[in-house]
Amino acid sequence: MTTEQKIALLEETLEVDEGTLKLEMELAEIDEYDSMSKLGIIVMMEDEFGVKLTGDNFKQFKTVSDIVNMMNN
Amino acid sequence: MVLTKIEEVKISAMAAAVSNTWTALTDMETQEGPEVIAKFSKKTGVKGRYDANLNQTTADFCFAAAKAILKEKKISPDEIGILVFVTQSADYSIPATACILQERLGIPKDCIAFDVNLGCSGFSYGLNIAASMLKTSNADKALLLCGDTSAKEKNWKKKVKTSHSASMLFGDSGTATLLAKEKGAPLMHMISKTDGAGFRAIIAPYGHWRNPEPPVGESIGSRMDDIAVFNFATSEVPELVKKQMEEANTTVDNYDCLVLHQANLFILKQIAKRTGFSMDKTLVSIDEFGNTSSASIPISLVKEYGDVNENKDIRALMCGFGVGLSWSTVDAYMNVNDILPLVHTDESFDDGYDFD
Repeated sequence: MTTEQKIALLEETLEVDEGTLKLEMELAEIDEYDSMSKLGIIVMMEDEFGVKLTGDNFKQFKTVSDIVNMMNN
Repeated sequence: MVLTKIEEVKISAMAAAVSNTWTALTDMETQEGPEVIAKFSKKTGVKGRYDANLNQTTADFCFAAAKAILKEKKISPDEIGILVFVTQSADYSIPATACILQERLGIPKDCIAFDVNLGCSGFSYGLNIAASMLKTSNADKALLLCGDTSAKEKNWKKKVKTSHSASMLFGDSGTATLLAKEKGAPLMHMISKTDGAGFRAIIAPYGHWRNPEPPVGESIGSRMDDIAVFNFATSEVPELVKKQMEEANTTVDNYDCLVLHQANLFILKQIAKRTGFSMDKTLVSIDEFGNTSSASIPISLVKEYGDVNENKDIRALMCGFGVGLSWSTVDAYMNVNDILPLVHTDESFDDGYDFD
C-alpha cells in the first residue's frame, strides 16, 4: 500500500474529505481526531494491518505520519 | 474459565423501570456544541436517555420493576426466598440496599438478601449467583434486581448533570428478573471471567477507604480509559461469546438474539461482526436508554419484546462486560410473554432521613 493510499484510508476512518490530511499535520489540530475516532483507527489498523494499538501508542502519536508509519503489515 | 450449568431453573419474568423524564441529547444542557453532540450520537448510538428524578435511586426503579412482576405474574412476595441487588449506586454505604428492598417488597424474613457491587457485567453475574443459590436452596423463587443511576450527578447538592461526554452516554434505570424452579426447564449455560489487572480502566478512585479524599481539583466521579475498555471489549468479549457457543455446541442460528451490554453502538457492531451475529439479531437499546450499566441486558430484552404478546420461547445469548474488569455470558431461554412492557415511575422511597 502506498503512502497516499494509507493517508486515504486514514481520511476515510476519520471521515474527513479526501486530500485533507498531510503527513506533517499535527493530530491535535485535527478536529475529527477525537476519542471515538481513535476507536475507529484501532479497528482499521487491526483489520487492515493486523496491528493492535494501545493507549500508549496514541500517547506517542503526534503527527499524521506517526500513524501512517504504523500502517504496515 | 469458570463454567456453570444449571438445570430446571427458568427465567420466569423480566421487567425494567425508568422515570417519565426522557431527554434527547440534542436538548441536553451541556457545554458541547450541537456538532459535537451530533457526532457523539452517531458514534455511540445514544439519541437520549431517561433521567432519575432528584430523589429517585436505583432501588426505586428496581422496586417498581419487581412490583410489576409480582402484580402481572400474580406472585405473592412470600414465594421469594432470594433477593440479589446488583448495583454500583446503592442507597447507602451501609446497610446493603437489598435488605431494605426485602422489607419494601413485603418479602418474608425467610430470605437471603444481599448487594453485589458489579457494573456492566452485573446482570450475567447476578443471574449466575441467583440461579445457583436457587438451585442449592429450598427457596422456590429468586429475584434479581439490577440497575444504576450512572447519569446522576455524583454531588446531588448541585442538582445538575455533569457536562462531559460520559454524562451523555449513561442513563438511569432499574430492572427485575424472576427466576423460578421448574421441572424440565432447559439447561442454562454460563461462563464467567475476571481480570483485575485492568482495574484502572474504569474506576472511581476517590471517596472510599483506599483514597477517602480526592486531591484538590479532582472529582470523586468515575474515570474511563476509552482505549483500554475498547480493546478489552472487542477482544475478550467476542472470544467469550464464541467459547460459550462452543461449550453449548451451538451456532448463531440456534439463537433468537445476541444481547450485549450496551457499551456503545460502535463496540456492539464490532462484537457482532467478530462473533458472526448479524445486527438484526443483536439487540440495541442504547439509542433510547443510553448505557444503563447492569440494567442494559434486561432493558434491551424489554425494548425488543416487552410489548409483544406472543407465547413463544426464545433463546438468548447474553454477555455483560465492563468495570472490574469483569465479563460473563449466559445462554438461556425465556418466554416472550414473560418479558413485561416498560414501567415508568416517578416515585421514590421516603426513608425518614433529611437530606441536609
